[in-house]
Amino acid sequence: MRYFFRRLIHTMFLLLGVSVLSFLFVALAPGDYFEEMRLNPQISQATVAAMRSKYGLDQPLPKRYFRWMQSVLRGELGFSFSYDTPVRPLLVARAKNTLLLTATAALLSWLVAIPLGVWSSSRKAKWLDRVLTLGTTTLLAIPDLMLALVLLLIALRTGWFPTGGLHDIRFSRLNAWGKVEDTVAHIFLPVMCLVLGSLPILFRHIRSALVEVLDSPFIRSARGHGIPEGRVLFLYALPAAANPLISLFGFSVGTLLSASLLVEVLMSWPGIGPLLVEAILARDIYLVIGAVMFSTLFLVGGNLLADLLLYLADPRIRME
Amino acid sequence: MYASESRKASETKSDRPNFKTAIAIAMFAIIAAGLPRVSAAQGPQPLHAGEEVLVTSGEPGRFGGKLVASLRSEPKTLNPITATDISSLQVIGLMAADLIHINRYTQRTEPALAKSWKVSRDGKIYTLQLRRGLRFSDGSPFNADDVLFSFQVFLDPKVHSAQLDLLTVGGKPITVRKIDDYQVRFDLAEADAAAERLFDSVAVVPRHLLQGSYQNGKIAETWGLATSPQQIAGLGPFRIQEYVPGQRITLERNPYYWKADRQYRRLPYFDEITFLFVPSEDAEVIRFQAGDVDVISRLSAENFSALNNYQRARGYNLFDLGPGLQYEFLFFNLNDIPSKQTEEMAHKQEWFRQVNFRQAISAAIDREGIVRLVYQGRAAPLWDQVTPGNKLWFNSAVPRPPRSLEKARELLRRAGFSWKSDGALADSRGHTVEFTIVAGAGNAQRAKIATIIQDDLSQLGMRVQIVPLEFGALMNRAFETYDYEACVLGLLGSDADPNPERNVWLLDGGMHLWKLHRTTPPTPWEAEIDLLMRQQLTTLNYEARKRLYDRVQQLVAENLPLICLVSPHVLVGAKTSLGNFRPAKLNDYTLWNAEELFFRQEESAKTR
Repeated sequence: MRYFFRRLIHTMFLLLGVSVLSFLFVALAPGDYFEEMRLNPQISQATVAAMRSKYGLDQPLPKRYFRWMQSVLRGELGFSFSYDTPVRPLLVARAKNTLLLTATAALLSWLVAIPLGVWSSSRKAKWLDRVLTLGTTTLLAIPDLMLALVLLLIALRTGWFPTGGLHDIRFSRLNAWGKVEDTVAHIFLPVMCLVLGSLPILFRHIRSALVEVLDSPFIRSARGHGIPEGRVLFLYALPAAANPLISLFGFSVGTLLSASLLVEVLMSWPGIGPLLVEAILARDIYLVIGAVMFSTLFLVGGNLLADLLLYLADPRIRME
Repeated sequence: MYASESRKASETKSDRPNFKTAIAIAMFAIIAAGLPRVSAAQGPQPLHAGEEVLVTSGEPGRFGGKLVASLRSEPKTLNPITATDISSLQVIGLMAADLIHINRYTQRTEPALAKSWKVSRDGKIYTLQLRRGLRFSDGSPFNADDVLFSFQVFLDPKVHSAQLDLLTVGGKPITVRKIDDYQVRFDLAEADAAAERLFDSVAVVPRHLLQGSYQNGKIAETWGLATSPQQIAGLGPFRIQEYVPGQRITLERNPYYWKADRQYRRLPYFDEITFLFVPSEDAEVIRFQAGDVDVISRLSAENFSALNNYQRARGYNLFDLGPGLQYEFLFFNLNDIPSKQTEEMAHKQEWFRQVNFRQAISAAIDREGIVRLVYQGRAAPLWDQVTPGNKLWFNSAVPRPPRSLEKARELLRRAGFSWKSDGALADSRGHTVEFTIVAGAGNAQRAKIATIIQDDLSQLGMRVQIVPLEFGALMNRAFETYDYEACVLGLLGSDADPNPERNVWLLDGGMHLWKLHRTTPPTPWEAEIDLLMRQQLTTLNYEARKRLYDRVQQLVAENLPLICLVSPHVLVGAKTSLGNFRPAKLNDYTLWNAEELFFRQEESAKTR
């Protein structure tokens, strides 16, 4: 418990540091939200200046940070200039969609990667292992952008899948089963893209962790005792190789909010991605900082989770 | 249709007076009243006596169906008073109406909520006659009080509406007076040649819904995206039905809309219009090609070509409308910036300030090459700020000399430049001519234009570097720090009239890009442009005004404060079956006549 609290306090400091830094970097970037308004010949400079002062952009940086901090404590996470509303509801509505996508993709990646990795490691240097390694290396070399575009092209040519969005426009009029079907059809391509992108990394980590363990004397001894291979692999070898995998799991939880930004923009998935890209381009700074803080929260949360799992899984860490 | 259905319902009830049924119906009514309007759109109300509807001239269409369009960014608000971004304005444009409207196709003004108007001889008083018997989309009546209230809000400096500057004529805000319930008088401090066009940007809002929030000082925060549809009403052809964050916004028919077709049937034809949020042009193109989206606008030349191959097979038509109002240009930093001026910048500005130097650059740039290489032929070369797409103000007398390196060299020689032995151009003091052009990194076309200019000018011995900059950073340099040498930028006029451009051309205009900071007196041609712009603003006769603005264009083409380069074509697409589709060169290109659009046959697309 003390360990947990210590980590929690570390996390708080980390979040504070991230907030100061992201605030500073965003503020240092030249230009602000109202700069683009100046390209509208119908709006005078006086009006732009008045809007700037209305949103407090003419205030010194520490004062703006202090005001932003107050709004964080109120649970608003700042104020979006472009949407004229607090940031939190904007992020929460879209974070749900992002999580639906990334959690499904992460779950699927792990479910596929574990058996593949275990299987491949048990047949080290045989043709199956080689095919799998070659396949994942190829996938690793393909950029996510290209993967997404190829999948979109397939959808467009075959007409089997929708080319974007989360739901069909008649979604609200579908029955429960129709809604599930519609969501699955829409989520398929973006999930495929994310799974194909993350699978090679997971697969290779699992494989290499297991290959190391499978060489160790206790596995040889287990095999020598005639314990069935499946049991050896999943009940003896896998738990022994778990430590790096738990860290990796923490990392994949941590990146749940940020892993899919590109895919979301390309496949018009209504998540945080399109909102964040637009906010960055428009210099909607509090929305950007809000999204960064949200992602950081997930990252530190994921790491915390990994550490706790390691603490529970590995007696050596408990001893330390 | 709606009226007859409701009559049937009441007949059934009176035929069989059943207590349980009555309770069930009452409960249903209570529940239904509390639900958001997500049911099928209400049919159009029949026209009633005394209602002064506007009869349109389009082909009579078929009622029903849904149109699906897309937006590259989400609308930010549904409040016409505070909206400034394209997406919000596009959606609001379908939900609101104005007194006098600019027809996007003809580019001329036409009656809207005002059926007619009179202008005093001195051009300072406008008396507008409003249509009688009109209703907002929530069914409440419209009259002069709503007009008065709308202008009161738009003109209130505390509200910070973007239209305030436009509604300030001769340094004073327009004053509005009610003569009777259907007559309103507008007083201008001085005559304004484009006064009729000002009304186009002011949406009439319902006083009964917004007065409370205006009095509480909360008008800017009202009608956000989270507002319940029941709280929002307008006079446009559609009204809000549903907004799903990140996904779409759906509008449904305004059953009380004030336009009818030639057969005296109340418009619009469509039950609903849905805007899907598709965050990039490429994704938008894919969805259009897949048939998920019925209309597409603001296409790039590359995507236009890509879509062109599948027109027949996929059941859509593409339209190249020719040059729009957008103009792309190169300009030099002519700001007076002594405090920050380094010696290097000082002698560079000496070149930039010479008309001969700018003329030489203009003569050396291969505009046809830009059209061919950057826009695949889908743009028009340009020598001044008014594009051939601007039907009313284009000046065909402006000289349009073809590219000539000889002429450019001659001009440079005349300005005292010479060439070193290695071919590099040098000024009279021996400084090699080299400068940087900044261009928006996010805009592929502008980056390519800059590269072509770099190559063209290298043939004159100039050394040009290109610095791609993120757009916000570029704007900061152009408007705040003046830390740049030359820049490629584009402007998109919101209206064909020269009036909205005044901030670009007046000496003290906030968009006087090349010289926002001035400590020295203006050159004679700058002063003349300023004078001509002021004169044309108050000249009421179109021909006289055109002569003044023609002269402005001539001065710009001669003195080149902006070296105008090209005007991209307006490229759009729509399903073949879309009736009354008449895309325009003014924004909103495709849906400006949304009330008249209809599908010729039952759509079988998978989304409907």
